[in-house]
Amino acid sequence: MNSVIQISHLSKRFNNFTAVDDLSFSVNEGEVYGFLGQNGAGKSTTIRMMLSLIKPTEGSINIFGLSLEKEREQILSKIGAVVEKPDLYKYLSAYENMKLFSTMCGLSLGRAEIMKQLAVVGLEKRANDRVKVFSQGMKQRLGIAVALVNNPSLIILDEPTNGLDPQGIADMRSLILMLSKEQGKTLLVSSHLLSEVEQIADSMIIIDKGKKMVEGKVSELINPEKVQVEIISLDNNAAKEVVLASQWASGLIEASLEKILLETKKELIPDLFKFLVEQGILLVSIRSTNTLESYFLSITK
Amino acid sequence: MQFSRIVYIELYKTFRKPRTYIAFAAIAAIVGLIQLGFYADGDNYIQFGMQSLSDSFDIGGEVLNGYLMAYIILQTMLMQVPLLIALVSGDMISGEANLGTLRLLLTKPISRTTLILGKFAASSIYTIALLMWMALWSLGISVLVFGANDMLILKSDQVTQIISSDVVWRYVAAFAYACLAMITVSSLAFFLSLFAENSIGPIMATMSIIIVFTILNTLDLPIFNSVKPFLFTSHMLGWKGFFDVKLNVNNEQIVGSIENLRAVLISGLILLFHVLGFLSASILVFKKKDILS
Repeated sequence: MNSVIQISHLSKRFNNFTAVDDLSFSVNEGEVYGFLGQNGAGKSTTIRMMLSLIKPTEGSINIFGLSLEKEREQILSKIGAVVEKPDLYKYLSAYENMKLFSTMCGLSLGRAEIMKQLAVVGLEKRANDRVKVFSQGMKQRLGIAVALVNNPSLIILDEPTNGLDPQGIADMRSLILMLSKEQGKTLLVSSHLLSEVEQIADSMIIIDKGKKMVEGKVSELINPEKVQVEIISLDNNAAKEVVLASQWASGLIEASLEKILLETKKELIPDLFKFLVEQGILLVSIRSTNTLESYFLSITK
Repeated sequence: MQFSRIVYIELYKTFRKPRTYIAFAAIAAIVGLIQLGFYADGDNYIQFGMQSLSDSFDIGGEVLNGYLMAYIILQTMLMQVPLLIALVSGDMISGEANLGTLRLLLTKPISRTTLILGKFAASSIYTIALLMWMALWSLGISVLVFGANDMLILKSDQVTQIISSDVVWRYVAAFAYACLAMITVSSLAFFLSLFAENSIGPIMATMSIIIVFTILNTLDLPIFNSVKPFLFTSHMLGWKGFFDVKLNVNNEQIVGSIENLRAVLISGLILLFHVLGFLSASILVFKKKDILS
């Protein structure tokens, strides 16, 4: 498989602060690549360097086999990106924004073509409305439509689900999967939510303080059989006693007055639920919590 | 091709913003007010100004005419117009940074130099459009309302009379010069807008620089005399040179003449150097700038 993105020993320092530290990774053609890290981990700085918004202090970026430093325009002509918030011209309509950015890319798209592209993100009926009246979700979708206006081979989305409601998040997930599976695009999607990336990405990298923590296939990195379970009951002390005296004790990670955390196999969660109910524990909630923090903890142990 | 596309896009954006029209409305309002004032009470004003001359000269005809009105308006307004220019030019980059659209623009396949040149060209076109609008109101409307006649310019030590057939080209040249002067202001505001993330800073900084330089110009202190010729504000009113005419031995105006053409051209060149300097600095800074907005 061809590498679309190759990042080698990339670093960025702002005075004494190192935002990205000797980062290397590669993204293969046609895959959805999850770019994970906590807020402030260096994801956006890396993405900005990949789009030549920021100059790296050290290292190299090759995209489509070309050096970003030398072939910037040629590379950018095949990339669509939304960096952080999807900021657009608020005083223009969705249609005008699309027209403007397509002209900027050297395209002369007619109204029908632009409307077709707006339909992909479900905004064809709001084409003539000014962006200033759009909700965050609509702005996010329009941002993606603008990113797709030049029919790019590589799409870079920086925290695309930020500020979206659950329906918006589901729509965004479907859109990303459609772009990947149906249109064969390569996508790099940054997020601080492991559960989000887990559902869409083929491969992923986790960075922390600008450094690579882990990289690989999602299926290999996250053991789908083992999950962390958070239990909240009306009496967590009693629940803790019950768990400690049972077969589940070996998976116990943390027990406090607020919650109990334990690790177990995914298919055993219904059994755990049944066991706690049978023991008379009054459950408030029981859910799997594969958060980035917990994954971080597991890989840094 | 890419450059003309950027200029078109930038002009489209500029003229879709409501703030762009503030300057056009302000000029129409101020010029209209001055014209109204002179229409109502202009004769008394002119008579007061001519008092000292009426003993020595026999003055006939319509002294207060469209040409004189345009001169008065230009003289009054060309120090205020920079604020209206900075309103748009100071917003060119900082406004995009503030909106967050600068990073989106720069993810598109356009070189930073082309983008900055396109934006600069658009702000210059806006400046020229504003000056043409001012010409239309101050000269066109004034001539319509007050009529056209010989132009009498009163200065501290002399009175210059320019025959009406020799006036229009002088105004064309004066407005062309004024465009260059205002593009200098525009390029300064444009340069300053690279360093800010909202347009208030560049607008205020541009006006502050103009005020400080103007004060330096008026201070007759030897320490400042050596720098005065290099300050762009020293040359902003160089357009007046087009209304200084040469006289023949009979003290009559030589038609088509300019008393000190060399000084006007040198002033124009100094302004042009400032424009090129600010533009080059803008390109250099922007090419190296990390886009963090």
